[in-house]
Amino acid sequence: MAGADKTSGRKQSGRDQDGIRRRLDTLGERLAEVKARNAPPPQPDATARGEALGYALRLGVELVAGVAVGGFIGWALDRWLGSAPFLMVVFLVLGAAAGMMNVFRAAKAMQAKAPPAGKDLPDDLDDDED
Amino acid sequence: MFEAYAAEGAEHGGAGAGSLPNPMHQFEIKRLIPIELFGFDASFTNSALFMVIAASIITLFTMYAMRSRALVPTRLQSVAELSYTFVANMVRDNVGTDGMKYFPFVFTLFMFVLVLNMLGMVPYSFTVTSHIIVTFALAAFIFLGVTAIGFWKHGAHFLKFFVPEGVPLVMLPLLVVIEVISYLTRPLSLSVRLFANMMAGHTMLKVFGAFVVALGLLGGWAPLAFMVAFTGLEILVAFLQAYVFAILTCIYLNDALHMH
Repeated sequence: MAGADKTSGRKQSGRDQDGIRRRLDTLGERLAEVKARNAPPPQPDATARGEALGYALRLGVELVAGVAVGGFIGWALDRWLGSAPFLMVVFLVLGAAAGMMNVFRAAKAMQAKAPPAGKDLPDDLDDDED
Repeated sequence: MFEAYAAEGAEHGGAGAGSLPNPMHQFEIKRLIPIELFGFDASFTNSALFMVIAASIITLFTMYAMRSRALVPTRLQSVAELSYTFVANMVRDNVGTDGMKYFPFVFTLFMFVLVLNMLGMVPYSFTVTSHIIVTFALAAFIFLGVTAIGFWKHGAHFLKFFVPEGVPLVMLPLLVVIEVISYLTRPLSLSVRLFANMMAGHTMLKVFGAFVVALGLLGGWAPLAFMVAFTGLEILVAFLQAYVFAILTCIYLNDALHMH
């Protein structure tokens, strides 16, 4: 090594740089490997679960609120028009329908936001077939 | 009537011999500074006190956290920035970029409800959001404001919001009535959801706390373990309810601005 160093210093330094670069490359690869191994578990899972719980808490009340508001409107109209129980019965049913429609709409909006089942895989997975 | 209620609360609130403490005692409104305005009782109550505390916490926290305006945020600053971007993304995703002018309102609302819910988790504190009159006042304000925005933006065309498309004429009267009822349920479902969750959770905590005392050293450990887990769930619910309250405000705003 000492003789080679004396005869061609420039060539030697070039070889050194090559070596350093190679070592840097392998170090980079190993770093990436460690990073991939120690990466935190995918975050969307946790937030998605929180969001799902938020949805669940939303829907239950929606159903009851429809009946309550419908019943109240019917009761108020009955008092105003003096048509004792009839309008309240009608509006209770209408209120139940409104509550169900609210739940249906909310659920549809949630479904539109989430990817449909079976289609949530990345696109490039089936690329190697064609 | 108030005095009678207070006396009953005091009677049950103190751990009397043999009787469990009243779990509803924690929701009692107390007049701290009695004020009477034009014949109305406008006293400064413990509920009002905690609203003032919440408003001051939010103001002081954001001002203190952002005091340095560093490019690389400190821990506290990044908490403030995270809450800002969290709400900003919520508004942008649910209302769109033209809804960003309502961002200050949604941010204030979210932080207010969140801090009130979280303050309620502190022992010996008062949970303002466990009173339906508070949550209903918030929800009614949102409902009226959003309706006003809808009429201001679209004029009489906003009434089309209640007419579903592609429906045979015969069915239209029925469906319009259902649509109007469904629109009117908004303030009720918004307020009942928050109030019921907070009140039910805090009552459960109190009831199980009484079980711990009643069962003593031998059997008290089971309800205590349950309470520890349930407190964690309650903190999650406190956050989620604030989130749901804010996101529904965004959805209602979106309906008013873009009509479906």
